[in-house]
Amino acid sequence: MAQDIILYSVFVPIAAGIFCFFLPDRMKILAKTAAIFITLLSLAAAIYLFIKKPAYWPNEIRALFIVDNLSSFIGIGISVFALLVTVYSMGFQEKAFGRFFAYLLMTLGGALGAAYANHLVILIVFWGFLAVTLYLMVNMEATAAAAAAAKKALIIIAGTDALMILGVGIIWNLTETFLMDRIQLPLTSFYSFMAFITIAIASFAKAGAMPFHSWLPDVAEDGPTPVTAYLPASLDKLLGIYLLARASMSMFIMNDASNMILLVVGSATIVLAVIFALIQHDLKRLLGYHAVSQVGYMVLGIGTGTAIGMAGGLFHMINHAIYKSCLFLTSGVVEKRAGTTDLSRLGGLAKLMPITFTCFLVAALSISGIPPFNGFVSKWMVYQGIIESASAKNYLWVIWLVSAMFGSALTVASFMKLLHAVFLGRPSKDFTKVKDAGLFMAFTVVILASACIIFGVFAFVIPLPILIIPAVNRAIAYIGIWAPAVATLLITAGIIIGFLAYLFLRPQSFRTVPVFEGGEDNTEFARVSGVEFYNTIKEINPLGAIYAKEEAKSFDIYYIAKRLIYSFTRYLQKIHNGVLPSYLVWCLMGMVVMFLILFLVY
Amino acid sequence: MKILGYIFSFLVFPGFLFSSIMGLLVGWVDRKVTARVQWRVGPPWYQNFVDVVKLLLYKETLIPAGVSAGTFFLMPVLAASSASLVSTIMLMVNAFPKSGFIGDVIVVVYLMIMPSLALMLGGFASANAYASLGASREMKLMLSYELPFILSLVVPIMKSGFAVKFGTIISHQHASGLTIASASGVISFFVMLLCVQAKAGFIPFDMAEAETEIISGPFIEYSGKALGIFKLAKAILTFIIPIFMITLYFGGINFKGWGFITSVLEYVLILVLMILIKNTNPRVRIDQAVRFFWGPLTAFSIIAVVLAYWGF
Repeated sequence: MAQDIILYSVFVPIAAGIFCFFLPDRMKILAKTAAIFITLLSLAAAIYLFIKKPAYWPNEIRALFIVDNLSSFIGIGISVFALLVTVYSMGFQEKAFGRFFAYLLMTLGGALGAAYANHLVILIVFWGFLAVTLYLMVNMEATAAAAAAAKKALIIIAGTDALMILGVGIIWNLTETFLMDRIQLPLTSFYSFMAFITIAIASFAKAGAMPFHSWLPDVAEDGPTPVTAYLPASLDKLLGIYLLARASMSMFIMNDASNMILLVVGSATIVLAVIFALIQHDLKRLLGYHAVSQVGYMVLGIGTGTAIGMAGGLFHMINHAIYKSCLFLTSGVVEKRAGTTDLSRLGGLAKLMPITFTCFLVAALSISGIPPFNGFVSKWMVYQGIIESASAKNYLWVIWLVSAMFGSALTVASFMKLLHAVFLGRPSKDFTKVKDAGLFMAFTVVILASACIIFGVFAFVIPLPILIIPAVNRAIAYIGIWAPAVATLLITAGIIIGFLAYLFLRPQSFRTVPVFEGGEDNTEFARVSGVEFYNTIKEINPLGAIYAKEEAKSFDIYYIAKRLIYSFTRYLQKIHNGVLPSYLVWCLMGMVVMFLILFLVY
Repeated sequence: MKILGYIFSFLVFPGFLFSSIMGLLVGWVDRKVTARVQWRVGPPWYQNFVDVVKLLLYKETLIPAGVSAGTFFLMPVLAASSASLVSTIMLMVNAFPKSGFIGDVIVVVYLMIMPSLALMLGGFASANAYASLGASREMKLMLSYELPFILSLVVPIMKSGFAVKFGTIISHQHASGLTIASASGVISFFVMLLCVQAKAGFIPFDMAEAETEIISGPFIEYSGKALGIFKLAKAILTFIIPIFMITLYFGGINFKGWGFITSVLEYVLILVLMILIKNTNPRVRIDQAVRFFWGPLTAFSIIAVVLAYWGF
């Protein structure tokens, strides 16, 4: 029974997706119903598999698909986000429901296939399939910017995919098996190390770690918002980090050098990406840079090689998926209602969109790692992993710890800017009649924001023992103390008493007055948007140097590769002058050369 | 019952009420020493209490028109709650080092960010250009001091055998020497002293409030009860910061016999150092502060970390 469910949960969504693809736009009710029904069903299947784990298909000895502690947890995550994005899109999407849900369902099936696959070739097939669906989804609206972003994403992900195929070839050569549960490669030889690197690069590109990150901000800015929340913010993170965890926890026996690579990539990603985020002008692009930066914590956690670090990395993965999709979906509401994501035009929406603002605030505090929300717990675990690895002679631990903690301060900074520019500050005159989210959109963001709170306050009761610790499969010893439930109780008690004090200590003494700025009504003149907050420190090193490099696109691997390729093809281009006789001359010359070779050899 | 005990310790002793009283007294010490430095007499000891009671009970609370009132009023309360939580944790772990109350040093570092965060969000919510400007300065200031602050925090963690629990940090110092009794400890202590100077918003790092330039920045629209609660949060934080440093560098507060006198002297030493720095320096610009914290102070804290590696 369980083994058939594995196959169904992979192929039924794909089949349903193909069905939706051919639905005409008139029958959008059918597409919506099919999408909700299939995503609910696959969530049920994922939960069933989670309970029945371990499950194998076709059998335990030569399993092509395996549902174990790690992959069943990823499976639940994938299904939950597919369901939430489906519900949200009911309120967000206006046209092309058939195509949108077709891609969404195909992505769901492909992602589940990649998560459950135990055969490396099957994994590669689904991995490539997901790159294609990502391309299709980002390019849904077919604007020039979206097309460019989709192309960039496809080229980076498919290019690293090709590297992974090479790595899988090496693995087969060394072990003569494609079955992931049989592989246990020590990273002693050059070839096994290369195999690890290729797989790590594939997972970095998927999750968006540096230096393979540059597709993500572009997709976030120009792609449709539900798609960004669905793929780069949640599913791609889950899969990329899943592959990295699988590779470093079971397929390869890690050593100091391989861990060091992960630590360097993780720390650099955290700090650099968040520094870029600090100066962005577009809400969605800024969030895109954070989607890159947060991957650093996951990679860092896995790179510590300690059980608590790995658990922290995996926990951060699921937490990130929750709060980042919440952030993207709330900014989708802003985009839909206000019609722009340009930070300099927005402002003061908190009063008009209380639900959206509250959810955004919760998610923003979570991503900033403020206790008692979920992001804090996982970051706290990653920090402990780093400190624990320090006693195991990881001499550079201070660098990793400081970049992780300082990165989190930078995250706070850029979210303060966002909160000011979008929701707080002086309202802009253009948006006085903006409405809050509709039913479907509000439902989704409220669920996600509540998940941020629940996963934070009850971290040691719900997510960690049920999902994370079984997936890590090692005993975890916390070296610190954190009692989130008590702390939350106390802070809540304080807030309640504070509000009682407002209400009952001489309550008559409240009065509304206009804002005082030197006694003049200079409403529009003195409006601070928040975009320019960090301009006064932009020039200070090391920020100045980093921004100059970013300006020159030195961090964009796509741009560098493009420059490299154009430097060859510049010469080839000259041959293409569009004049027919010259092409004929080339053909003739080629034929002459071929005949000469034939003549001389034989 | 245990929960009620927690709530009592949070609200009354050693949490909100006790820490507020202590904080207001510390504020009086600040005002008195400042006055003496400036050849004035200074206020009587109860001046701060009178000020806060006036704000809480007698002054009217003005709401700026067109703002999200929920956020505007939530932020002072959030600041006071989180400051009280910090003080509860710090005093409990000092009184009962083995108990492991609520959080470790990482938790406290993050909880100490919350009052600043609440101040910023409160400023943002008041829809005033001066408030926005001040709050953005507060954020930039936080960015600048956070780097040397974390680096100097690493030294006590290293000195106590990679522990993050306050209990272990305290007991390790009693077993194998105080953090301050080493070259790296001294350097990182002074770096942290300057960082907490900025954390407490003392001159020369009070550009977020800068009364003469931006009219108290984030506080500009706050009045009455909301302002009073913010003042209390600030008082609690000022009271607890020296205790945080005593815990990390002087082996915690000793509540027994002569040890308590020593602890009080250490407290007064740190406090007076902060007040003297405050009174002998002019306010710096935000970019100067960022250069100062990311330049010399970060360099000093790196030196401290390297020395700690070599065991000094």
